[in-house]
Amino acid sequence: MHITVIGTGYVGLVTAACLSDFGHTVVGVDKDHNKINALKNGRIPIYEPGLDDIVQRNVQAGRLRFTTDITEEFDRTQVVFIAVGTPPQEDGSADLQHVEAVAREIAPLINDYKVIVNKSTVPVGTGARVRQVIAAHQTQKVPFDVVSNPEFLREGSAVGDFMRPDRVVIGTESDRAREIMKEVYRALYLIETPFVFTNIETAELIKYASNAFLATKITFINEIANICEAVGADVQTIAKAMGMDGRISPKFLHAGPGYGGSCFPKDTKALVRIARDHGETASIVEAVVQANQRQKERMVQKIHNILGGLQGKTIALLGLAFKPNTDDMREAPSLTIIRGLLEQGATVRAFDPAAMDEARKILGDTITYCRDEYETAQGADALIIVTEWNQFRRLDLARMKTLLNQPVLVDLRNIYTPQEAKAAGYRYTGVGQGKSSETHGN
Amino acid sequence: MDVAVIGCGYVGLVTAAGLADLGHSVIGIDKDPRKINKLKAGIIPIYEPGLAELVQRNLVTGRLTFTESIRPAVERSVVLFITVGTPSNYDGTADLTQVEAVAREIAAAMTSYKVIINKSTVPVGTARRVKELIKKHLPAPVAFDVVSNPEFLREGSAVHDFIYPDRIVIGAESVKAVALMKELYSGFLKKKVPFIVTNPETSELIKYAANAFLANKIAFINELANLCEAIGGDIETVALGMGLDHRIGPHFLKAGPGYGGSCFPKDTWALIQIGASYGSPLTITKAVVEANENHKRRMALKIKDALGSPAGKTVAVLGLAFKAQTDDLRESPAIPIIEELIASGVSVRGHDPAALTEAKKAFADTITYYEDIYEAARGADAIVIATEWEIYRQVDLPRLKSVMKDPVIIDLRNIYRPDELSTAGFRYTRIGQKDIR
Repeated sequence: MHITVIGTGYVGLVTAACLSDFGHTVVGVDKDHNKINALKNGRIPIYEPGLDDIVQRNVQAGRLRFTTDITEEFDRTQVVFIAVGTPPQEDGSADLQHVEAVAREIAPLINDYKVIVNKSTVPVGTGARVRQVIAAHQTQKVPFDVVSNPEFLREGSAVGDFMRPDRVVIGTESDRAREIMKEVYRALYLIETPFVFTNIETAELIKYASNAFLATKITFINEIANICEAVGADVQTIAKAMGMDGRISPKFLHAGPGYGGSCFPKDTKALVRIARDHGETASIVEAVVQANQRQKERMVQKIHNILGGLQGKTIALLGLAFKPNTDDMREAPSLTIIRGLLEQGATVRAFDPAAMDEARKILGDTITYCRDEYETAQGADALIIVTEWNQFRRLDLARMKTLLNQPVLVDLRNIYTPQEAKAAGYRYTGVGQGKSSETHGN
Repeated sequence: MDVAVIGCGYVGLVTAAGLADLGHSVIGIDKDPRKINKLKAGIIPIYEPGLAELVQRNLVTGRLTFTESIRPAVERSVVLFITVGTPSNYDGTADLTQVEAVAREIAAAMTSYKVIINKSTVPVGTARRVKELIKKHLPAPVAFDVVSNPEFLREGSAVHDFIYPDRIVIGAESVKAVALMKELYSGFLKKKVPFIVTNPETSELIKYAANAFLANKIAFINELANLCEAIGGDIETVALGMGLDHRIGPHFLKAGPGYGGSCFPKDTWALIQIGASYGSPLTITKAVVEANENHKRRMALKIKDALGSPAGKTVAVLGLAFKAQTDDLRESPAIPIIEELIASGVSVRGHDPAALTEAKKAFADTITYYEDIYEAARGADAIVIATEWEIYRQVDLPRLKSVMKDPVIIDLRNIYRPDELSTAGFRYTRIGQKDIR
């Protein structure tokens, strides 16, 4: 099949690359000349494991091309994916100007039946809106269908998520469009991936619902972690026991400094907004959004408490990205933590294996950027683990101790046990590990 | 092992019978002589599938006996379960009066090492409290341990849940107590059931956390169901799409009239109280509790909306128990729904295959009771499905329509397919999807 993917940001690029890997002929379109030039030369502007291989392989095979010209190959294309950005506006609603601009631009180009697919996470009603905009700007009355096909990609494992998804959601009222979408995902159909066929509104809601629920799960366990600290219980044991309940599932029950990233904060706020716009309330998700903000701020207090104050202290931060295996800093807990530390008069040194450039864009020269873990620790009053990169799981704690001003370890991802930190001579605090939560037997 | 189970309510009875079935010699103790006499005769005072058979089987072998007196049972047993009731106080905290009374009685009768186990769902700190209490009331110093070992039984499948647990949680402070607990549950160890051994506080919190999370799942999907009605989405498909995400899982994503029962409402409230008392607010659970209350009220509005002008109408409510396979009416969504309908001048008929006796206690003569679905529906202006009993799925729709005054079904459990009801000529309202009129 011939497919056009408009927008070569994170979602667009993964979609274009993986669809070409399924054997389709794909054109990736972006307005940004620099980006397209980089892609033509095989350079991937984002950090995503495995993506560069797939792009290069399919560019070489001639199945994947990049262009700034939306009309290129458009006559032959059967399916147009819209994968442009939908950044959140101040009120939490998604900004649809890029989506609508694309709809206006492609409308006069539609020369025979095409399927227009919303791949970006867009508010309920956007599918209907795109249909209206296209119909209003068509120069010839050619039939087309709009489909909602939300992406469920996780940064850091997006390629695997596209190639082996938990499910594919297709929202459309048209049988013809449904058959074409099946053809697009034929490779997944053959490996018995579950397909959910529904109407556009339902498909649009599924993405928000899934992300909001996962954000709820994280925030729920974070509130349990806080109570564990108060009563002397251990949140990791609770999470383990909860996860053994077949109705709960053990995933996303890791207590930590709060969720961040480009999806959960945006999608939770958008869902709250969508409900309000329709005269309903998403009161649980509202509580989640607020609790998550408090959780991030609470981490500053935690560091304050173990040091007995922050004024004049030097803090070494390991990990800046919102999670490991990404360079994404959007809404990262590290930002709230750094802001709080600086406000209270501390000096911050930091290291992240991938997100240093992104961090510089946001934090400028307010903090010191270090080459590695050990340089970061030099002369610091406390070592804080903010992101659970694998390389932070096996730190040489003895060496670290000689570099630190004092051996204090604040482990916001619970990647060390209190016992091993204590054995290495550290004062240690994790998240949700109450004082008397030593376990017995087993 | 010699085991005493003190308190023969729902949890105590399943525990006693289950442990006897594992091969232990179990005495069940209860203060209520009528209950004990019934149990001795193999008559089970609660509705729980498979329990009567389990009790009778172990009565016959002599591994399970019942008595009113606590002292001889304490003397002969090493392992003592406390399974008395912990009802909610008005402020949501658990009332520990009965637990504390039993602790004092155990102390008075103790002359050798015992493991005392809190099986009831009790607030964080109860194990330590029981330990202090026993210590204080011991006539002479004797070694003992207090262990938290929460039950994870679901009404309607409690026997199965006891025999095939997802996990065994043991909150203990002494190696000796842990070893005895493992011996007690060695049957499960052999079946590779995971054991979680931790401190009492963690163990006590697990039950609340698990139940509060499940309540969260239900309340979350119900809020989305409301949103689906507003935007023209379909909650069943949203739940399907969400549930296929392995990090979410498909369970407890069934939209309905709100959760009820003896656990979720009580445990969510208690968890909020525990958080408040330690200065650690559980804002999400609080939002869940409020959303669930709002949702139940919303159900009554939904019904009234479908009726048009409710005053003078007759409505048959099918299902009164808080869920299928139980006679339990506690916090059932049917209660606020029926109260609101009555207040709006609706005359309400109630049907339930198991909960009519309990329902009569709750509603007295404010509603009329039916044992036959079609009799309940005769001349009614609408039917409300409030509990997902299987018999309601099997109903003869044409016959139902022929006896009703107006063919209207408000299906609060989404047990029917919209197309089958429209084919049968019903006006149909369900949860999380636009109505068929």
